[in-house]
Amino acid sequence: MRRYLRVLVMFWRTSLLSELEYRLNFLLALLSSLGHAVGNYFALSLFYTGNGSLGGWPFFQALLVMGTFTTLSGLSRVLLSPNLARIVEHTRTGTLDFVLLKPIDSQFWLSTRRISPWGIPDVLLGLSMIGYAARRLGLPLSSLLWALIPLGWSCVIQYSLWFTLASIAIWYVKVHNVTEVLNGLLAAGRYPIDALPPGAYRFVFTFIVPVALLTTVPARVALSQATPGWLALAAAFALGAFVFSRAFWRFALRYYTSASS
Amino acid sequence: MNGERVARPNPLRRAYVKARALCAASLANMLEYRAEIYLWVLASVLPLILLGVWARAAESGAYPRSSVEFIRYFLCVFVVRQFSFIWVIWEFEELVVSGNLSHQLLQPLNPVWRFLASHASERLVRLPLVAAVLGLCFWFYPRALWLPRASDVLAATALLLLAFGARFLLQYMMSMLAFWSERAAAIEELWFVVHLFLSGLIAPLDVYPESVRRLTELTPFPYLIYHPVNLLLGRGAPFERAALVLAGWGGLAFVLQRWLWKRGLERYSSMGS
Amino acid sequence: MAAISVRELSKSYRIAVKRPGLRGALGYLLRREQREIAAVQSVSFEVAPGEIVGFLGANGAGKTTTLKMLTGLIRPSAGQAIVAGQVPFERKRAFLESITLVMGQKQQLIWDLPALDSLKVNAAVYEIAPREAERRIGELAEMLDVSDQLTQPVRKLSLGERMKCELLAALLHRPRILLLDEPTLGLDVNAQDAMRRFLREYNQRHGATVLLTSHYMADITALCARVLLIHEGKLVYDGSLAGLVERFAPYRQVRLELARAVEASELRRFGELETLDGLSAVLIVERARLTETVARVLSELKPRDLGVSDPPVERVVGKLFLERDLAAKLAPQSGPGGSQ
Repeated sequence: MRRYLRVLVMFWRTSLLSELEYRLNFLLALLSSLGHAVGNYFALSLFYTGNGSLGGWPFFQALLVMGTFTTLSGLSRVLLSPNLARIVEHTRTGTLDFVLLKPIDSQFWLSTRRISPWGIPDVLLGLSMIGYAARRLGLPLSSLLWALIPLGWSCVIQYSLWFTLASIAIWYVKVHNVTEVLNGLLAAGRYPIDALPPGAYRFVFTFIVPVALLTTVPARVALSQATPGWLALAAAFALGAFVFSRAFWRFALRYYTSASS
Repeated sequence: MNGERVARPNPLRRAYVKARALCAASLANMLEYRAEIYLWVLASVLPLILLGVWARAAESGAYPRSSVEFIRYFLCVFVVRQFSFIWVIWEFEELVVSGNLSHQLLQPLNPVWRFLASHASERLVRLPLVAAVLGLCFWFYPRALWLPRASDVLAATALLLLAFGARFLLQYMMSMLAFWSERAAAIEELWFVVHLFLSGLIAPLDVYPESVRRLTELTPFPYLIYHPVNLLLGRGAPFERAALVLAGWGGLAFVLQRWLWKRGLERYSSMGS
Repeated sequence: MAAISVRELSKSYRIAVKRPGLRGALGYLLRREQREIAAVQSVSFEVAPGEIVGFLGANGAGKTTTLKMLTGLIRPSAGQAIVAGQVPFERKRAFLESITLVMGQKQQLIWDLPALDSLKVNAAVYEIAPREAERRIGELAEMLDVSDQLTQPVRKLSLGERMKCELLAALLHRPRILLLDEPTLGLDVNAQDAMRRFLREYNQRHGATVLLTSHYMADITALCARVLLIHEGKLVYDGSLAGLVERFAPYRQVRLELARAVEASELRRFGELETLDGLSAVLIVERARLTETVARVLSELKPRDLGVSDPPVERVVGKLFLERDLAAKLAPQSGPGGSQ
């Protein structure tokens, strides 16, 4: 365990060092995040002209969801995207073998090798959105802290989904952008689940690409409106998704090691 | 010394021969990558998600368009977006960083033609899946099905071609920055943020507050998505103004690109391999 | 008229200096130090049409930079180069059609398609009529022995086959001047051999001028009558390979089969002792004193067998690469084929 911690620190230190080489990056990432945050806030406000709303959610409650989404998307940029790019590169150049030969769990290695500071503005902006919405709604700090738990589950779900899809790249390098499809679908997480039309939309975005669990559930918990049903679903999904990602990775590795060229 | 060569045919014929060879190879190459391309089609489903959200929200009647109109709007946005996506900045940056640009520089053909060929062939490969997704959407929302007038389609296509030209030139100009920075593509990300919110991608511009709406009209963005879509929907658009704005921006980009190319090549050549 | 004419060609770079560690990285973020490097200094030479010339030099000596200046990819800081009667950097169409550059590890063929598809594009770009292109492809494919490989996707070919197809693509437009940068890098022995034979044959058949850089001595010895030795950015030798060995390594190897065991110290009286393995010994003897030393060895040691040979070229040149300030130690060489 301690060894993994040390390795983690080492990974992240070298990663940060190499990223700081590109000083322009940070400025651009900052501007980009700012632009998205402002634009998203504005886009949200467009729904609330006249007597319009998003699924009956008041504006600032919907902002909670938007903030959660922004935070999660920032976290994904910090940890998930840089590592995904590496996995694809590994498979393409054949250097995955080196990773597999290391005395460290390969899933851990591939998931944590890189860290990128460029997602941090998103995380900060997302948290600011949540903070601002919470202020305007007069939410107690305790409920926000409680919301951290389902937020943790959201992180696990997002990671598991992403890693499972990234594992597919091991088979077939040409579908390396399958995680982009995931990202595209996750965009529905900007809005509360009630904003989506009932029927196919709600089904897909609750059970297949569970944005409802990712952003709506933490927001509901912060609003003290969460039902045990949803919480149980979120927790179960988090656990199930993680276990599945692990099993799927093992499966992918077995295929990979038996079919090398 | 360079082998047989018949009396040189006219420039148009020569250009055609090269274009055909480039496009044929490009298409063959894109077909090899069709799995990836199909996934890109699926990854840009934002308009379809927004379709659902706006359609539901519009049931309250609080906006200038009805639910059905929103559905049609976003379906058109989806299609338009599929055929207006440009990636030359990434392709160019990769060539510069890897040094493979040298190969293209040593051949008597401006690299821009290869990029155009790859964009054209990629569109062709996308076509079947985009049509399939569209079909699926209409199956889900049969009340939204409509057939645009032929004149509308023509006008929209013309405007979209202009928009493609302008956007390509603008992005190609920005690609030149790859000679100076390894992250030139980041400029495109900034451009995209602005494009996302000002071009009518996330919502039709008529639901924007008037002041913001007037601001967007000062930029070329509405002419890339919003106005062509309105044309398709039969709602009309300021065609002459759009053409002028797009041609103007395209021309400016072209001039800047030539200048940056020269300066960039000097820098590329002084950087070595 | 010379195919290639180079005068006082020079190239300097400025690179950023960075200190290691986190503090260095942050410092780098704020302010950058720069250092100037002279990659090529006042190189001058001429190459006649149809010659095969080799560029020799250690890594980083400046050979690739010089070569790229001849292609126009790198703009010289000073001096002048005329290739095929044109200034390379202007990259005029006539110039581009007369030259070709082959780089060992970089490729121009489309990865996922058969080489033939890329060749068709090249034929169109260089405006070669389809029938003529077919003929040339056939001819070159036969010379390179890749006729079957042209229809397979490039990614499925072995490195050697890929390099041959790259060569084919590079020569389709029958350039007068071939510039090759480490063309045999990474190839196995047979592939290297095949490439050398091909280049020789191509040079003989079409009279093309060939300039190649390599740090495989075998490439140079097999192909080049003339070598240019570039060391630390300067041209220190321009002449035949034999002349190079003569000049820089005026010694011979004397191999002995001794009749009885002899102490190493005893053998060292005659010259430098390279190896001693039981009854076999190799001595390094200065050429000037060769006859006298051989006579002494024969009379004093009475070996069973004695042989005299040239030292291996690799070693000679390798030692040269290591020397500092080589240019200062030498009198300047000039003119093609010139040697002492």
